[in-house]
Amino acid sequence: MISLLLILVMSLFFSGIIIRTKSILSGRKGPGILQPMLDILRLWKKGSVVSTTTSFIFQIAPTAYLASVIMAVLMIPHGDKPGFISFDGDFIMFAYVLAFGKFLMIISALDTGSSFEGMGASREALFSMLVEPAFFILLGSFALFTGQNSFRDIFSSLHYGSQISYLLGGLASFVLVMIAMIENSRMPLDDPKTHLELTMVHEVMILDNSGFDLGLINYTTNLKFAMYGALISNFFIGLLPLEFSIPMFLAIQIGFAITVGIIESFMARFRMGHNPQFVFILTSVSLLIFFGVLLVLGKFV
Amino acid sequence: MPNLVLVKDDYFWLADMVTSQVIVLITLVLGLGIVGLILVKERYRPLLTFIIVLANALISSIPSFQALAGDSQSGVLSIGHFAGELSIRIDSLSAWFILIVNFTSITGVIYGSGYLKSYSHLKVNSELHWIFYSVFHASMIWVCMFEHGVGFLISWEIMSLSSLMLVIFDFQNKTTLKAGINYMVQMHLSVALLTLGFIWLNYKTGSFNFEALDHLPFDTSSVWVFIILLTGFAIKAGFIPFHTWLPHTHPAAPSHISGVMSGVIVKLGIYGIFRIIIHLQHDWLLFGQILLIFSLVTSIYGIANAAVKYDFKQMLAYCTIENIGIIGIGLGIGLIGVGNKNNMMAILGFSGALLHTLNHSLFKSLLFFCAGSVYQQTHTRNIEHLGGLIKKMPITAVMFLIGSMAIAGIPPFNGFVSEFIIYNGLFKGLLGTQGISQSILIILTITGLAIAGGLSLITFTKSFGIIFLGNSRKVLEHEPEETSFIMLLPQFLIVAAMFSVALAPAFFFDYAIKVVTGAFSLQISNLSGSVIPVIDNLTNIGMVALIFMGILISVYGVRWFFVRYRSRAFSETWGCGYGSPIKKAQYSGQSFTRSFGLLFSFLAKEKKCAEKIPKQSIYPVPYTFSTSYIDTVERYLVIPITKRLTFMLNYFQFIQNGQIQSYVVYGIFFIILIFLGTAFNLIH
Repeated sequence: MISLLLILVMSLFFSGIIIRTKSILSGRKGPGILQPMLDILRLWKKGSVVSTTTSFIFQIAPTAYLASVIMAVLMIPHGDKPGFISFDGDFIMFAYVLAFGKFLMIISALDTGSSFEGMGASREALFSMLVEPAFFILLGSFALFTGQNSFRDIFSSLHYGSQISYLLGGLASFVLVMIAMIENSRMPLDDPKTHLELTMVHEVMILDNSGFDLGLINYTTNLKFAMYGALISNFFIGLLPLEFSIPMFLAIQIGFAITVGIIESFMARFRMGHNPQFVFILTSVSLLIFFGVLLVLGKFV
Repeated sequence: MPNLVLVKDDYFWLADMVTSQVIVLITLVLGLGIVGLILVKERYRPLLTFIIVLANALISSIPSFQALAGDSQSGVLSIGHFAGELSIRIDSLSAWFILIVNFTSITGVIYGSGYLKSYSHLKVNSELHWIFYSVFHASMIWVCMFEHGVGFLISWEIMSLSSLMLVIFDFQNKTTLKAGINYMVQMHLSVALLTLGFIWLNYKTGSFNFEALDHLPFDTSSVWVFIILLTGFAIKAGFIPFHTWLPHTHPAAPSHISGVMSGVIVKLGIYGIFRIIIHLQHDWLLFGQILLIFSLVTSIYGIANAAVKYDFKQMLAYCTIENIGIIGIGLGIGLIGVGNKNNMMAILGFSGALLHTLNHSLFKSLLFFCAGSVYQQTHTRNIEHLGGLIKKMPITAVMFLIGSMAIAGIPPFNGFVSEFIIYNGLFKGLLGTQGISQSILIILTITGLAIAGGLSLITFTKSFGIIFLGNSRKVLEHEPEETSFIMLLPQFLIVAAMFSVALAPAFFFDYAIKVVTGAFSLQISNLSGSVIPVIDNLTNIGMVALIFMGILISVYGVRWFFVRYRSRAFSETWGCGYGSPIKKAQYSGQSFTRSFGLLFSFLAKEKKCAEKIPKQSIYPVPYTFSTSYIDTVERYLVIPITKRLTFMLNYFQFIQNGQIQSYVVYGIFFIILIFLGTAFNLIH
């Protein structure tokens, strides 16, 4: 419950912090932290333009996208306090529930019959396929490390081990930050501020969405960021009591947002053809974590 | 069972057990049905076939339900002096597969009765088709019932031949006939291996029964018996590199046949593998690891090829290969679990495999039926010619969408349930294994499953998006319209079954556990209590699926509440400044998977065919360019081997010279050979 509330609160500020960081780093004054959320509110008040080619898929996809992320958020614990839904193997469900929203967003891009939107859809499908193994190896390693099988149990028993668990946590947060960047189509893979359809991933998929639906999609992106931030913070919260864990959660989330801002300010977007290689790096880093775990558990014999 | 009792009084030569009566009754219904099918008019034949299939399904389902409830039955079928006594049984494992066979066959016959109407102008022989359909159904039940190897092989052969006849329904078409011959040859390779395996078994133990596998002596040659039998079944199931019959046969067959074949006939290969590994007495780890590796390769290879295919029925065939791989992964981790004495892992692996067998038979037949409806309305299997069908065939589109999401393993549909169990088994295995090699194998399997999941997302977003969404890419001869109710009805039935698995997974899982513990009663013990948390967990999955649906509906409700009075304008799709979008410029299936195809070109190689542009030409002339993807295993492994074989076998062509006289001589020659053999005591 607590994690749901915290993630919802954080989702209001997240992209504001990113934009603020970017503006400060580029020497501009920049908009206020709440500006992206206000933009979304404005979109929610607007009417929409719908393509005549589209079918009901186009109408339900943004809703399904948001619903799938809400469902995933419900599974995320806060340290040892379980999420709204918690069971053995919930992280498998987590990954597959997110795929539900992705599936509908991809086909809704194809629904417009556009010559561009399919391009973004194809890239989104490819990158999310490539990122999947990294997530599963990561969670598999931590399941092996802690001997547990669900988000909550993994996170709450993470700190009984040695100092090396912090190292693994660090590597894991690197992987998770990158997964979040890929899943949200941010900088090293995709530039949300670009103005050329041929080079976009996420933005080109939603070219035809407008009004309330566009607002939903933008808000879902923020929520997704906050969700991954919550996952990362869980690697460090452990069994801390609430009065320490909540500030720590917020600090990690803000740190995550600032990191995203810094990455976006100082990195150029990769060439589209090189992106798969980059995504595969995450899998190899996850494998590194896995071997680290094997080392710690003394299974290298 | 009043009807069974009645039969018992009538036929004195029946053995006293009920199972043999079941077989006899099925044969009887089948025989009467065939006579009926010959006599009745053309338009009543589908109905009569439906009645035959339904009757046989009822006859075989009653003992199957009893077996699942814990009352396994076995018996002996005596066929006089000719074949002696053949032992038969319906245990929980047979029951599981018999029920799957029955459900899919019933939906298949309903769909087929609508589907074949579009072939009525062809003047083909529908009576043969329906006769073979009922034979096919009955033979699949026999396959599940026979314990005795000879009876099993005979039914297996009847099944292969009758399905062959069903596949080559459209026999005037050359590619269909070629695919049929390909199928026939590969199926006979399978039968030959199985026969060899059973003969070897009989030589070693003196019995043809499956159970005799228990008594094989502990040595190398008995391992080979297992390997030969497993290979024979693997050909039927379509494991790499024995998969090559699937992508040719499925597009050639009429859609209700492809649905049933992909839904159940392939699964009988899995049944065979299951039946064999039950009797494995040692080397579980070795077999488990081999099976796991093969299945992993199969699943990734299958889905990677499915992703790039243009022909949607071929795509579905490759996707079947992937799912066979997933089932195989379940069996593999089950075996490793037995080897490691890790009961949870074994249970989760085997029952995950069983549930995935059930699930796959549901959504694959659904998808094939949808594909058949699309083909019937558009007369093309090339997805690049389609588009925008969701407006013409909305119900078919929704059915295809449900099938696609289920097969991609996405909650809240049923595919997720079985994949979840298999994943769970893998994670349990990861926590329980000793030694680094197993840990690495399991983490690789998890990775592979995740990749396969992602790839099926690509495959099915592509297929659904290109076939049903956007604008039509080509002008079709007839305006497509929604198919008839008789073709939609089986799809509704299947979707209902799918949701019952998705929302009440614990119920089905409970039975799957019963099957597994019944089959592995020796290896898996001390279960009491340890499976209860898993069953609870699956109840959770059903609940979570419900919650997810609730969230979906409520978010949509909120959206509806806010949007209902908003203005909504309609306009063309945004064309980036161009006012009149061209339909041909829509994103195509090939472009959707191109970057993926480049990345995975070692599995599915792109082949480009381009004409050369003459240098001297002044005026532009029509110019063609085409791309296709080739199956690398087939192209570089299977075809070279078969080419070598045909080259070698050419030298024996003189034997088949078409002269009846020489065939008579061959007959006499063999009779003399056998006579001499017995005379000199070489043959007993």
